Amino acid sequence: MPAFRGAGLISRDSLTAWLLVAPAVVCVVVLFIVPIGYVLLLSVTDPTVSLDHYRRFFTVPLYANVMVNTFRTSLIVTLACLALGYPLAYVMARRDDALAVSFWTGFVVRTYAWLIILGNKGPVAATYAFAGWGSPPQLLFTSFSSTLGMTHVLLPYMVLALYGVMRKIDPSYMRAAESLGARPFGAFRLVFLPLSLAGVVNGCVLVFTMCLGFYVTPILLGTPKDMMISQLISQQIEDLLAWGFASAIAVVLLACTLVLLGIYNRFAGLDRLWG
Amino acid sequence: MVRYVPLVLALLAAIFLVAPMAIIVPMSFSKAISFEFPPPGYWTGYYAQYFSSHSWLEATANSFIIASGSMALTLIAALPAAFGFVRHRFYGKSVLNLVMLVPIIVPAVVSALGYYSFLSPLHLVGTHAGMILAHSVLSIPVAFLVITAVLKGFDRNLERAAMSAGAGPLRTFLWVTMPVLRPGILIGALFAFLHSFNEAVVAIFIAGRDASTLPKKMFESIRLESDPVIAVVSTLLTGAVLLGVLLSLFVRKRPASR
Repeated sequence: MPAFRGAGLISRDSLTAWLLVAPAVVCVVVLFIVPIGYVLLLSVTDPTVSLDHYRRFFTVPLYANVMVNTFRTSLIVTLACLALGYPLAYVMARRDDALAVSFWTGFVVRTYAWLIILGNKGPVAATYAFAGWGSPPQLLFTSFSSTLGMTHVLLPYMVLALYGVMRKIDPSYMRAAESLGARPFGAFRLVFLPLSLAGVVNGCVLVFTMCLGFYVTPILLGTPKDMMISQLISQQIEDLLAWGFASAIAVVLLACTLVLLGIYNRFAGLDRLWG
Repeated sequence: MVRYVPLVLALLAAIFLVAPMAIIVPMSFSKAISFEFPPPGYWTGYYAQYFSSHSWLEATANSFIIASGSMALTLIAALPAAFGFVRHRFYGKSVLNLVMLVPIIVPAVVSALGYYSFLSPLHLVGTHAGMILAHSVLSIPVAFLVITAVLKGFDRNLERAAMSAGAGPLRTFLWVTMPVLRPGILIGALFAFLHSFNEAVVAIFIAGRDASTLPKKMFESIRLESDPVIAVVSTLLTGAVLLGVLLSLFVRKRPASR
């Protein structure tokens, strides 16, 4: 703790501050950062001290496919969330009323709903039968169902990020543009859209990084044929008990997330990501 | 016509967001053994099954115990930290501010792996204490952000007025500062509670059998046996969350003073 070096340098004020901040910081460091350090350690020591896990991860084509698939799926989910979330946040920001209804319903519950909907006895299959189209295509346990489920689960985060920025845009700007002759869409494109871009960036970064490491939905709805990183980690632990390799994959996942958020932090400041 | 385009799009998005969850309610009254919709018949048998199942009730109790415990611990840590960060300047502030956010940055699988290898030598895997510690640390950043935001908007003249009228620091804190901040703190607490209550990934890794929570038990049931009681639990949980959200709106809508 450098603050305590040289008694002349520390004021009473900064001592008070340290005491106030200490419990939380100690909690986070001891109970979070140290455990993450364990993962790092495990990835290079289990079963022997070596970098073999990383070498394997970056040379075997199967794992490259998993990475590509993870990033592609995350990108699709992010764009889908943006397309759905933007109009929703736009309308909500102007009404100024309740949101966050589905925000706090757990991921497991919402994923379960899709299991019913897309299942072979679900409403989609029933519609196919009713319309006489025969049996529906395999929907469940595909990358389609996993992508759809994640879009549904992560949409509230996108909406919240957009809403946070849009709410602060003064509606009189749009009225001013329209009174000066802009058509409604022109006023939106030239005035509202540029002002809302900060929210778009926040929402996309938030959803993309959450999607990269998403666990519940890809495992319950996805397929081992098109794995995402989290499915690979789960498979390595549950089926193969390969803790060392699983840890190495987790470190790669963490590194990807940190790089993305690091870039964001450089330009915007991490505090703003959550509104 | 153009004016209605955003409204229509928003409505479609809202339907996409809400409709899939609505399917859970009829499912919970369905007679079907597996996921079948529309249901072949209705009854309340699976509700009875839930309320007489030892393992489901135990998971429910565990969820409440762990969520309450981690809510308390989160507040104990996050509340003073918010005061420290908002009201003081100190050495290392910007770095520590980033440190406070680390738990929400790290993907849940990575945290879960870390917790497992960290807590098992301490014999805390599969215990309530281990789950409470793990969930508290995950909730600290969220509660911290919420309380910090409220504290930044606090008008310190209120405190100065109380002090100049003769109140001591403690009295000022208890009678002026806390009442004004109460809605923000309550929202922080609610977030911490619901976060723990819904958290699945860390629970899957470290809760074991004895401290199994509802999300963990549901995840495992869906994977292994497709127990129809899941629909009942989902309905009850969604109802509870709805109640929580309404509660938080009520807290937020109330004027800050009084």
